[in-house]
Amino acid sequence: MTRDDQLSHLPHRKRSLRLSLALMGAGAFTLTGCGQSEEVTDVSFDSPKSFQSVEECVAANVYTESACEEAYQASIKEVPRFDSLEACEAEHGEGACVAPTEEQAQAATGTSGGSWFMPALMGYMVGNMMSRTSRGATRQGLYQEPVYRNRQNQGNWNAATNQASQRVSQRQQTMRNVATQNRQATQRSGFGSRSSARGGWGS
Amino acid sequence: MLRVDIAERPNWKTLAEELGFHFHTIDGEPYWKESAYYQFTLEQVERDIEAPSEELHEMCMQLVDKVCHSNALLQRLAIPEFMWDTIFDSWRAGQPHLYGRMDFAYSGDGPAKLLELNYDTPTSLYEAGLFQWVWLEQAIEQGLVPRHADQFNSIQEKLMGALAHIGQRLRDNTLHFSCIKNNAEERATVHYLQDIAVQAGLKAPFIHTEDIGVLQGGDYFVDLDDAPIHALFKLYPWEELAQETFGQLIPRLNTHWFEPPWKAVLSNKGILPLLWEEYPDHPNLLPAYFEKPGEKALPPGWVRKPFFSREGSNVELTTNDGAFESVAGPYVDSPWIRQAYHPMPRFGDFHALVGSWMVGDRACGMGIREDVGRITKDSSCFVPHAIV
Repeated sequence: MTRDDQLSHLPHRKRSLRLSLALMGAGAFTLTGCGQSEEVTDVSFDSPKSFQSVEECVAANVYTESACEEAYQASIKEVPRFDSLEACEAEHGEGACVAPTEEQAQAATGTSGGSWFMPALMGYMVGNMMSRTSRGATRQGLYQEPVYRNRQNQGNWNAATNQASQRVSQRQQTMRNVATQNRQATQRSGFGSRSSARGGWGS
Repeated sequence: MLRVDIAERPNWKTLAEELGFHFHTIDGEPYWKESAYYQFTLEQVERDIEAPSEELHEMCMQLVDKVCHSNALLQRLAIPEFMWDTIFDSWRAGQPHLYGRMDFAYSGDGPAKLLELNYDTPTSLYEAGLFQWVWLEQAIEQGLVPRHADQFNSIQEKLMGALAHIGQRLRDNTLHFSCIKNNAEERATVHYLQDIAVQAGLKAPFIHTEDIGVLQGGDYFVDLDDAPIHALFKLYPWEELAQETFGQLIPRLNTHWFEPPWKAVLSNKGILPLLWEEYPDHPNLLPAYFEKPGEKALPPGWVRKPFFSREGSNVELTTNDGAFESVAGPYVDSPWIRQAYHPMPRFGDFHALVGSWMVGDRACGMGIREDVGRITKDSSCFVPHAIV
């Protein structure tokens, strides 16, 4: 499915349907809930829950079981399918792909089994499908698109850490020894000492 | 593109406080301003901002690849040699990045011109991603803007997708977040990112930059409990990290950095002349070159910027008719570039700068800053936008 196909049934909209805060916005629920301000009662701050599975969704006691299942099945239909594990890993990275479970195959294609592979499901694919607003829980169909482009020339960044450290030159090793020698306890204040124009680094 | 005067929402300051936006006023001066908004057409956004942003981003990625493979270019960008392998490895391994912001001079007419990239420590994120979105929803609800008004803004949603993607592959699904002490604005920005990370299913502990520790013989930087930090978001520039006491340890330790080390290539204004050399006469680029030693005073129609500077500091410009303007600052020890002066559009007393947000490899939102001066700085106001 191309990106255009995915978008064609959606309203042309450049902003997110909904946003939520999990840590910063504690006051938002209060504000909405007790109606302290008429003006803001319609702001839709959604439950920040996201789920890895239908079971987890149901267990959270926020949505009905059917809402959880519906959202899950809708999201799994969006998951890209590959003919081989290699093809999937080539796009999504080593170790990132799995064969579908019987239940996933059923949800995705309507038939059981099938020899295909998909990237392991991410929780947000379920979580983003649903929202809860001050007007009650609603479910919103939200398209998913990859945030990252596939760059063929690049490797598995997760596995590359050790490899990278093995390339450290002798010169750097010497510097490290200088930096850490004769210290027993944890050293701190090794970062953050530089002064900026206005006491901050954002730009 | 228009600047439209509009009524403020009656209770926005209360709401800002409740939503953690404590820096809406900085040192008694307004920072968030909603007595006006910038109005765009959908075509302006999609044709002139979104599409060029993604194209420029791809050009930048290709340039990163080229720079990473060239000692000469790394040297030209004044990147310290001990970081070269780290930068190369992080790029070759495909270490993902989170975000960046391109700053454009754009008047609504003609191509947007890239003034600079903020690809390492971009801020104004919370304002653009969340508070601006809330403003539009409420402004529609209160009848302040037309019901069909929209906004170029899926920044938070895309960040959540990127963080979910990244978090899956981090040990314990954990990403530490850091910024320096005693800066409320940066702490709030990082808090916002932590918030999104938590919503994306990550664990997102915080540590101040100054508190990051090193254990003798350890393989990772450590937190205040001496536990290893496997992955660390930093709101702190690469060029500064590298210069510090622990800088030499970065290549040796296995801590994953966000933004990744290869962002050092793009957090450097030297990238602007390199872009121009690589893509001369590109409609969204301005002519730029590396300043030669002993080069004479700035002629009319040129801007001078240090390789490393933040928030407009140490930028000087001479307009086409010879007016000189500059912002003082401490960034005097790095090389300089010169870039053709392209005026930002003026609306009444204000010059407007369009910030175009990239998350991962997608353009996903805009934030507008305005200033009475021609150089945008930390005190420039954030003004919301709408597509009408």
